[in-house]
Amino acid sequence: MTGISTRMPGEVVFSFVLVILSLVIFWQAYSISGFSSISSPGSLPLAASAIMVMSACFSFVKTLKKPLENHTLFFTHVLPPIVSIILAFILIYSVVLEKLGFIVSTFTFLVISIQFLYRKHFLITLGLALISLITVYVVFRLIFQVILPEGIVPEREIIAAIRNLFS
Amino acid sequence: MFEALQYFSISWVSPELMFLTALGTFLGIYVGAIPGLSVTMAVSILISFTFSWDVNSALCLMVGVYMGGVYGGSRTAILLNIPGAPSAIATALDGYPLAQQGKAGEAIGLSTVMSVIGGFVGIIVLAVAAPHVSDFALTFQPRDYLLLGLLGILLVGSLSGGNMAKGLFAGAFGILIGTVGLDPLTAEERFTYGVVELWSGINPIAVMIGLFGITEALSQLHHMDKVAVKQRIDRLIPKWGDVKKYLPLSLRSSAIGVGVGSLPGVGGDIAALMAYDQAKRSTKNPEVEFGKGAKEGLVAPESANNAAVGGAYIPMLTLGIPGDAVTAVFIGALFIHGLNPGPMLMIERPEMFWFTVGNLTLANIFVLIFGLTGIRLFSKIVECPKGILIPVIFLLSIVGAYSINNSIADVWWMLGFGMLGYFFKMYGVPVGPIILGVILSRLIDDNWRRAIMSERGDLSNFFINMISSPLSATLLLAIILILLSQTPIWKKVFKPKNT
Repeated sequence: MTGISTRMPGEVVFSFVLVILSLVIFWQAYSISGFSSISSPGSLPLAASAIMVMSACFSFVKTLKKPLENHTLFFTHVLPPIVSIILAFILIYSVVLEKLGFIVSTFTFLVISIQFLYRKHFLITLGLALISLITVYVVFRLIFQVILPEGIVPEREIIAAIRNLFS
Repeated sequence: MFEALQYFSISWVSPELMFLTALGTFLGIYVGAIPGLSVTMAVSILISFTFSWDVNSALCLMVGVYMGGVYGGSRTAILLNIPGAPSAIATALDGYPLAQQGKAGEAIGLSTVMSVIGGFVGIIVLAVAAPHVSDFALTFQPRDYLLLGLLGILLVGSLSGGNMAKGLFAGAFGILIGTVGLDPLTAEERFTYGVVELWSGINPIAVMIGLFGITEALSQLHHMDKVAVKQRIDRLIPKWGDVKKYLPLSLRSSAIGVGVGSLPGVGGDIAALMAYDQAKRSTKNPEVEFGKGAKEGLVAPESANNAAVGGAYIPMLTLGIPGDAVTAVFIGALFIHGLNPGPMLMIERPEMFWFTVGNLTLANIFVLIFGLTGIRLFSKIVECPKGILIPVIFLLSIVGAYSINNSIADVWWMLGFGMLGYFFKMYGVPVGPIILGVILSRLIDDNWRRAIMSERGDLSNFFINMISSPLSATLLLAIILILLSQTPIWKKVFKPKNT
């Protein structure tokens, strides 16, 4: 994280992006109802975005004055490969969640991410992923009755068949 | 009185509610203890899973997690020198040295009892003060609510990150997120860009899960290689002599905790640090020096942070203004269940207030029970490797966001805010004010416009009336003081000599 007297790599760009973002939002807020009335629907967004512009500019200037923290690199200390890779896993998981369904996509996500982060024998990873999946499924799908995407696995039919076996 | 007692005991007489409170407290202790998991994160995720439940059941689980979580942070602070939650930062200062001296069990036992005492003080003050605050709040003008909302965001902005400009940016950004959708008064579109799905706004729960679930878990990936040093634990029940000796300090610290906790936007972390500082100043001859295992340094923050829970409920239930980030999430939960926290809640739904007081009391008792038992299981669970824990947090966050509306759009919002929150955190922009801004956006918007309309659009009248009303003037003064306190001139003039 950023220091008080030093800046992290990429902080200048980040602060500049915040200034630009704030200006764009200010313009968008202005386009709601302009300066027509101080109690108009756009008044609060305009005031909030004005604060954003001012504070972002202030932070940007302050960041420019700070020296760069020694021996720090953007892709090592701010966005290291481990974060980028995990983010990619999460994004892929979110994309396939509805198509493949909760069970298949979650199991795959857990196996890949646990193997990547925990780095133990693959069978241990498989077991851990399976236990995690079963726990989450039982707690949330069966106990909390949370609706989860079915995808390619006909969950309802399987649950009904299991219930029939015991009834 | 009889009715109040009846409502108070709802969760005590229902086995289901009692079980949920116990479960919540148990889970909360572990959530609070495991570094990387936060109470705010857990409560945010829980809202999405429990919004279809009966309100009492959902609240029991969440109240338990809150109460247990605030206490749980102290355990890893004592055992591993890693505060499980920000409210346990001060606890580690003397708790860990005690553990290094082989007194981990004693420290955990003492911190448990003092946390529970603090919790009870907070609850008593809540029960006594909230009805009066609520009555008083009925006299509030819209401008007072506006000022209170702004005060809350300013306080959390100035205290959470240390950088006022970044705190202000975050608070204003949160307010803007809250304004997305159709204007509630005129139905005019705000930041919707013609997308019908945005008419109802961005779901605050998706924002919360993103900022507290994904952001936290991504940040934890930076510390995958940290190895914790294990401690041996023997007896957990504290000595009666110690409890008696430190009771006055515990009560004093609880008073600080409940007072600080009841300020809008200030939570248990600040309360604990202030109580620690007060204990350090007021203890003339400690048996052991502060910072080297003084029991006073353990008692003060632990009493204060649990007392702050009751304190944080006061502005939440009586004014609809969150006391800290967790109560901001609670307000979101109450809205989802059709309740409107504020002075009218006490009049229209008094049962909800007394139910909450009773439930907090029950959760506090469970803190005592779980706090003094199960240490072996605890040691096993907190040692759960991050390589397993982090993927499960991501999974719960995604499933939680999806289950709000069974819509993948909420997952995308959640991920977007999670990634944004990650960069915010990396560059020192606090995420707490964003959530407060989202929650308080509607209150600020409505009251700003009501206040201006009641003055027929005359801004000078608005300011004259603000200055002539003692309450508004006090709140305005507090806001000005907070802003001034962040200026270089103020810092230069009032800089403590010993720092």
